[in-house]
Amino acid sequence: MRELFPAKPVMGFVFSLVLTLIALSVYFLDLSFTAGLTILIVTAFVQALLQLIVFMHAGESKDKWAIYGNVYFMIFIALITILGTLFLLIWDM
Amino acid sequence: MKLDHSQPLEYSTHENELNIFGFWIFLGAEIMLFATLFTSYFTLENRVGSGPSGAEIFEISPVLIETFLLLTSSFTIGLAVHAMRLGRQKAMIGFFVVTLLLGLTFLGVEIYEFVHYVHVGAGLQTSAFTAMLLTTLGTHGLHVTFGLFWGTMIILQIRKRGLTAQTAGKSFIFSLYWHFLDVVWIFIFSFIYLKGMM
Repeated sequence: MRELFPAKPVMGFVFSLVLTLIALSVYFLDLSFTAGLTILIVTAFVQALLQLIVFMHAGESKDKWAIYGNVYFMIFIALITILGTLFLLIWDM
Repeated sequence: MKLDHSQPLEYSTHENELNIFGFWIFLGAEIMLFATLFTSYFTLENRVGSGPSGAEIFEISPVLIETFLLLTSSFTIGLAVHAMRLGRQKAMIGFFVVTLLLGLTFLGVEIYEFVHYVHVGAGLQTSAFTAMLLTTLGTHGLHVTFGLFWGTMIILQIRKRGLTAQTAGKSFIFSLYWHFLDVVWIFIFSFIYLKGMM
């Protein structure tokens, strides 16, 4: 039974719960918008990296550079799309 | 087919390796799909018209339950892949079933949430904000629904054919999909709900 619950995913799961609780603090604490958003950005991206590396085994195969390259490139384009649109339409710059 | 025994079963043939890589490219496209939804949401989240704002309709408890369910299901599908690598077919199917049940419960809570929104006057056509909110959440929910059917089919195939390079490859790809849905939910949880209630 024990071999079915290896340390790495168990630790990953515990860490993801901790990250969720830290993110949740912005709801209960009276933080400024900037401080709250900073916490959310950090916890969300750490959480995503955790899933990518621990659970999706992204770095294990021979083609890991192609996999990481593809994912990071798409995240880069996604951020340009989101932030670029906000720049033009919301922040009015 | 040539099997490479130095690799885990799901990576044991060249075709499997390419299938898995192909699925990563598909996930790249999925990142863009959700990025465009987030773009529209952030652009329209203050256009509430005469309808309610996010802070007025979001409730923390169902959102926390959904987050916990999806995080746990992401953990159990990870354990399923681990059991698969040990060749423990029964344990693997067990973890698959738990994952899908958690997914189903998630979907139940989300449907409750949608009914609640419509009930408090935040339907699809109320305002630009509600339209974009429900489209973004709904797209994620549809992905989960699709995953439930897909996962069930994989369980049936493994029961029928056992753990082969083919079924192991399919299971691994399904686990990638499921983890990806969890990642998307983390962003919805952080930047739609928590940011909206801050």
